[in-house]
Formats: sequence, C-alpha cells, structure tokens
Amino acid sequence: MKPATFLDSSIKEATLNINNEYRYLKTGYYVSMHAEVLGNRVIPSCENIIDSSRTPIFLLRAAKAGVPTLPVLVTDSVKKIMNELGFPVLLFAVNPFIYDGYKVACNKSALYRAMKSLGMNYKFAICAQPLKGELSAVKTYFGKTFSQDSSTQEIAEKVFKTFRIPLCKLCIQKTVDKAYLCGLQPVSKEELSEQDLQIISKEILLISEQGEAFGV
Amino acid sequence: MSKIACFVEKYNFADPREEGALQKFKLAAEKQGSEFHFLFREDISEIPKYDAVFIRATTDPLNTAYVVSKTAWELGLKVIDDPESITICGNKIHQYALFGKYNVPSIPTMFLKKDELHHKKISDVFEAFGKPVVIKAPYTSFSRYVEKAACETSFRNVAKRFFRKSDVLAIQKFTPTAFDWRVGVLNNDVLYVCKYMIPKGKWKPGAKLRGKPTVVWGRTVSFRRREMPARLSEAALKACSVIGKGLYGVDIKEVNGDFVVVEVNDNPSIYAGYEDSSDHDIYRRIIAYLSE
Repeated sequence: MKPATFLDSSIKEATLNINNEYRYLKTGYYVSMHAEVLGNRVIPSCENIIDSSRTPIFLLRAAKAGVPTLPVLVTDSVKKIMNELGFPVLLFAVNPFIYDGYKVACNKSALYRAMKSLGMNYKFAICAQPLKGELSAVKTYFGKTFSQDSSTQEIAEKVFKTFRIPLCKLCIQKTVDKAYLCGLQPVSKEELSEQDLQIISKEILLISEQGEAFGV
Repeated sequence: MSKIACFVEKYNFADPREEGALQKFKLAAEKQGSEFHFLFREDISEIPKYDAVFIRATTDPLNTAYVVSKTAWELGLKVIDDPESITICGNKIHQYALFGKYNVPSIPTMFLKKDELHHKKISDVFEAFGKPVVIKAPYTSFSRYVEKAACETSFRNVAKRFFRKSDVLAIQKFTPTAFDWRVGVLNNDVLYVCKYMIPKGKWKPGAKLRGKPTVVWGRTVSFRRREMPARLSEAALKACSVIGKGLYGVDIKEVNGDFVVVEVNDNPSIYAGYEDSSDHDIYRRIIAYLSE
C-alpha cells in the first residue's frame, strides 16, 4: 500500500512501515505516527524513529540492550573532547538539520573544522566518541546483514530487536578483537542493489506469513 | 533532599523576566531543601549525577533538549518535559490526530499532505473553512510558523515554505478572538490561568508589525485558579489527559461561550511577574513535583 493512501485510511491492523529513510517530519515518520494514533502495532514506532536518529540516545539504549559501544560525550566544547577523549575521534551531529553526517578528526584543527560544520557554526552540540578501530558502514535488513563477521551480525540483530528499524545502515568500528556500534544512518535508494531488494521482499513475505498484515 | 538539574541554553537568560523566574525556581528548591543547578549544553554527560531534570530550553524532538530528556528518562530520573510529551507537543499533527481520536473539543482542523497541494484540494479547504484559513507547521512555537491565507496564491506560498521541512501540515478554521486563554497544567491539575491578549489589529499573540522584524506581544493578564470558569479547566484537563502527566500550557479560545482547545504546549513559558502574578505557588509546586 502506498503511504499517501494509508494516511487517508483508518485501517486497524498491525502495520509494517518500510522506507529507506525514517526522517522525523517526513512521510516515513507520519506513516508510523498515523498507525500509532489508530492504535495499531507498528514497526518501527515513532519513539524508535526519533531515538535512532539521535546518536547519544541510540547508543545509550543500545548499550542497555547489551550492544558493545564506546563512551560518548555530548558537548559543544572542543577542549572537553581533547581532554577526555583525545585523537582520533569520531563525531556525529546532534541538530535539527543534519541527519546523516559524521566526521573523523585526527588533530586539533580538523576537530575545530568538524565541530564547526557539524555544530552549524558552534550553534549546536555534537556527539563524540573515540575512534579505536576500523570504521565501516553495514547495511542491514530486519537485523540481517551480508557481513561474514559474527560480531557485526550480532550487533545488527540486537539493534533490530531494540529499535525495529527495518532498513538502515549501521556504523560499526572494529578493533582487533571486538566490534563496537557507533551510529545509525538511513540508506539512500541508490544504495539498494537488486540483491538487497530481493532479500527485503523475502523478509516481508516471511513476516506476513507469520500473520501480520501491513501497509506501505 | 534531591538534586535537580535545570537544563537551559544561553537564550533563557536573555530576557530578565525569564531569568527572574529561573531564580525563583532555584529559591523555591533551596527552601524545600533540594539542590538546584543549571545544566548547560557542555555538561550533558553529568545527567546521571542528578535525581531530576527540569528542561527550560526550547524542546523539539530534534533539539538537544530531547536528548537531555530521553537520556534522563532512560536513566530513570524524573523529567519535565518527558520525552513522550515532547514528541506529541512538538508535532502538532500528532497532537491533533490524538484530539480527533479522543474527541477533545478543538478548533476544526484538516491535514494537508505534500502531494495534495493542488487547486481542487485548496478550494475544498476554503469551502469547508471559509476564508481566510490558518496554516500551521507541526513544529510551531511562540506564534511562529502559523500563518493565515485568504487566497489560493498565498495559500500555495505559505504551504510550500512549510513543506520544506514537514511532509504534512495542519489547516485550521480562522477563529479571531480578543485573547487566548492560557491554562498551565501540572500532573492533571491546573497550575495557573491567564489571558494572552492579542495585539490590536492582529490575530495571534505574537504578531509581526508590517515590514518590521520585531515581534509585538500582547499583554498577559493573570487570574486566580479558583476564579476560572469550570468548563475552561475541564477543557484544559481533557486536552492534557490525552498527552501525559507533565507540565503543559494549554491555549484555549472562547468562541460563542464554548471553550475550544487551540493547542497544548509542553515547556510553557513562565516569566516572573506574568504567569505567576496571581498564584504565587507555581514554583513551589513544580519543584515539589520534581523532587517527589
């Protein structure tokens, strides 16, 4: 079912909302909101949509669910980051305008530049965490990934269990012996290959066979 | 004895009336034997040290204030405004959908989706509500992002501007009144009542002068809680009950003797000598709720 048709309807059934991005105030968000107001069971919920796009909350809740994460710092002070985290450091934006950007800073001047752009000229706070290993973005569909790495797969499953975001990209950093979750980002339509779409439709079929009706 | 953190941003201290109110909160807390500290953006990692968080910085699901609220909530602290209230009050579409579901007496409202901005729909809107209509973006606060439109051209202009950020907008019937009632509600109980007068010749409490960037605000006239009309408190409490148990400011219009809800705001502004001038205990009651 198309999002627009669903928003006009008052279908009272469990709803599965599949979209490449669930940005707040965009159609993907309103579909979940509409389903919630109707009292439907919905994947993902509004709460999870908002929380998964706010990196500090996302990591806090993921850590509560047993996902390995690194300590984060939410601040707008460069000094604090240098004193408490050192370099290199991974920075995520926490503001109303940037929704998919992150930057890595290896030295003081790069940190200042990153803070300036992600903090919209120091107007907003940013979320910083130490960068210890190799950074990678992993596409996941219903908690499944193409990754051969078992720790990455485990992270993806736990994140899906907690946040129920059907499609997303997970930002994960791997050290020699461990993988840490760093953030979540939307998948753009161009990034979805034929193979990806096949897996997605297979998963949807599986879920609907388990007796859940859905929209979109 | 509890430790309360008050999350503020620099602009909360820009207005002496608001700063006065913040100092009164601090005083009230210290009188009750609680600690009251201002928490700024760079100290967000210190939230676990506190027992309760009181947010005074502007809230929106996309603001730092939401991060503070949700972090405190996840850690099991007492929070005003709690994350759910921010989500519902920060998005007026969500709020009106809930009002519709629970039959809260509110201003006639329609939703407009991004792909519906065409001649047919616009004439339907004008036919249903007459001219002009009020167009509201979901993230409105302080009378901003609320505009009226009397013809199709201006309707399209305003809607296009608001659609840049949100895929759905609210369209409301234009209901001019001389003032809006503002009812402060805490934990399903009326906290304060006042009238926000609308500046002469304008239609919303904070209106721009033609061609000038400054905003003129109407006067605030406060009343005692026990003198308020019973039906007014009924309408306010009913509207808040569908949202939650936090601190809200309900805007209500009196139309032909009926009380209709305009909107419920979380994080209502409290200025020293304005909202608090009839019922002086509002600071004490909010602090008592936080340190419970």
